[in-house]
Amino acid sequence: MSDTISYLLMAWLDPQLLALTAIGTLAGIYVGAIPGLSVTMAASILISFTFSWDVNHALALIVGIYCGGVYGGSRTAILLNIPGAPSAVVTAFDGYPLAQQGEAGRAIGLSTVMSVIGGLFGTLILASTAPVLSDLALQFAPRDYFLIAVMGLLLVSTLSGKSLARGIFSVALGGIIGLVGMDPVTAQGRFTMGSIDLMGGIHYVVVMIGLFGVAEAFYQLHFLSKEPVRQKVDKIIPAFSMVLKYLPLSLRTGVIGVIVGALPGTGGDIASLFAYDHAKRTVKNPSKPFGQGAYEGLVAPETANNAAVGGAYVPMLTLGMPGDAVTAIIIGALVIHGLNPGPMLMIETPHIFWFTVGNLVLANIFLLIFGLTGIKIFTKVVELPKALLIPLILVLCVVGTYSLNSNMTEVYWMLGFGILGYFLKIFGFQMGPIILGVILGPLLDETYRQAMSSVGDSVSAFLLALVTNPLSLILTSVIVLVLLGNTPVKGWVVGQFQRSQ
Amino acid sequence: MSKKPERLQAGERAFDWLLLLFSGAVFYQAYQITGFSSINSAGAFPIGLSLIMIASSIAVLVNHRRKEKPNTRGPLDELTSFLRQHFPINVLVFCALAVAYLAAIQPFSFFVSTFAFLALTFIYLRQGKIVSSLIISAVAIAVIYVLFTLVFRVYLP
Repeated sequence: MSDTISYLLMAWLDPQLLALTAIGTLAGIYVGAIPGLSVTMAASILISFTFSWDVNHALALIVGIYCGGVYGGSRTAILLNIPGAPSAVVTAFDGYPLAQQGEAGRAIGLSTVMSVIGGLFGTLILASTAPVLSDLALQFAPRDYFLIAVMGLLLVSTLSGKSLARGIFSVALGGIIGLVGMDPVTAQGRFTMGSIDLMGGIHYVVVMIGLFGVAEAFYQLHFLSKEPVRQKVDKIIPAFSMVLKYLPLSLRTGVIGVIVGALPGTGGDIASLFAYDHAKRTVKNPSKPFGQGAYEGLVAPETANNAAVGGAYVPMLTLGMPGDAVTAIIIGALVIHGLNPGPMLMIETPHIFWFTVGNLVLANIFLLIFGLTGIKIFTKVVELPKALLIPLILVLCVVGTYSLNSNMTEVYWMLGFGILGYFLKIFGFQMGPIILGVILGPLLDETYRQAMSSVGDSVSAFLLALVTNPLSLILTSVIVLVLLGNTPVKGWVVGQFQRSQ
Repeated sequence: MSKKPERLQAGERAFDWLLLLFSGAVFYQAYQITGFSSINSAGAFPIGLSLIMIASSIAVLVNHRRKEKPNTRGPLDELTSFLRQHFPINVLVFCALAVAYLAAIQPFSFFVSTFAFLALTFIYLRQGKIVSSLIISAVAIAVIYVLFTLVFRVYLP
């Protein structure tokens, strides 16, 4: 118990860790707020810079960036009607009308407090459920891990874009990229095309920086001339009675945020959409009609997207499955530092788990402090022209990629992935599923082969195990239902049901 | 009231056909690993993934039937419309400067090539403002040096 408390307070008592969490949170608010910069981009570039650091220092900075970044997008959504991050798209629906009505300060204050409540709620759920889930996960067979990874990737494909087929293609493409190099079991080359450089594989950070950094920079060149509209900001700190009034809605949407965040591949953007929809359906008398400045329309998405942060950590720390793109990057950081994300993390390195919990709480406290102050400087910084920002992003991508292995070839690869990402982006392919595919591809390959070995390479025995083992049966059923739910079969079943009524 | 079908983007069909071709090439490469020798071989999972790529790219192409054709007259018009829409001059110039920048890093050193890249892109994207662009580039170089060499202590190209 005393060990747990000392791990929890590690970031609070060490001045360096405290400072890194604070810097990360502050930087995250700006990264999340500046349209064109994203938390995923910042985290993937930072991983390469913090490569040689102590793992706690690297994690403290990334946790701060993550918490600050998810919140930061709401500020520009309210002030400029430009969501700085996808998770803040919904915030603009009611936040910007509030700003136009002269209530920008109150909207920012309320969204800050609700974000912190959401963040702390998500962390509480993480701390209470992860140890139990982790114990349960120890009993999973390789086959179950394989099924969980398939389910996660399928959910990513379904929820992260308009087309399931494109989502599945992205995941499989990512998986192939992740498998490039030497097979760890037989040492055979896979997709190396005779190149010695490719025998070591393609570092997933190179792919990430290319897809999230360079592709995004190219894409942002389309929006160079968008002029922001300035708003007057005054009283920021919301009245206690106001916070109390919206607390029940905040807690309900917090639950939505945690659950959506915990589903592999879904993050704050989808959580905020679900929460907004929930608020619209359940709040009978909003302060103003939704879409015209309802406080409820601000409270719901802001609580949910920050609660999703804690939710996203649950599958990452218990199963080694990323909850969203940022946790996918954090998994990579843990692996780089020699740790083993998954159920063994709680047994081998419990300090990392409790340190993360304590660090998330700390980051939320810093979020409250920075969220309610410094708004005047903030409005100046976020208006940084994209004409300056985009070339700087490219330079950061070059430095980040090179610093991984001091290898210029990887920098060329990074640019290549950036150009590929740009093409995929303009035709509606999502980057998140590709990255999750890159990270989960090797894990899927490994668990698939272990599962097949355990049944003596017998396909029929493998298929039989899918329906005879209770957990495997549940997972297989979910996968089949998700697949069927995205085919015309769903329409046919619904039609039959309606006719029978 | 029926929902209006989505319209295909200019170049979307060609791109999706290219993805199918690419998936076929990936399948060939996956087959080259161990063929169909065993369900548990080094090539088994890659073959599975490549088949998923082929199936999903066929599904993407089949979904085109539900969409309206692009508002263009003939393949040439579609190509020009695609280039106009997705490759405005800003993107092309930036892409060319980025490639030139990467090519220049090793022969001309990181700091010189980065300064030149930043100055040229700032001047181009801000349509002039030469003096302020040069000053901002110099400040950016100083910040990069302090941040990455002294604070993060990473190797620069």
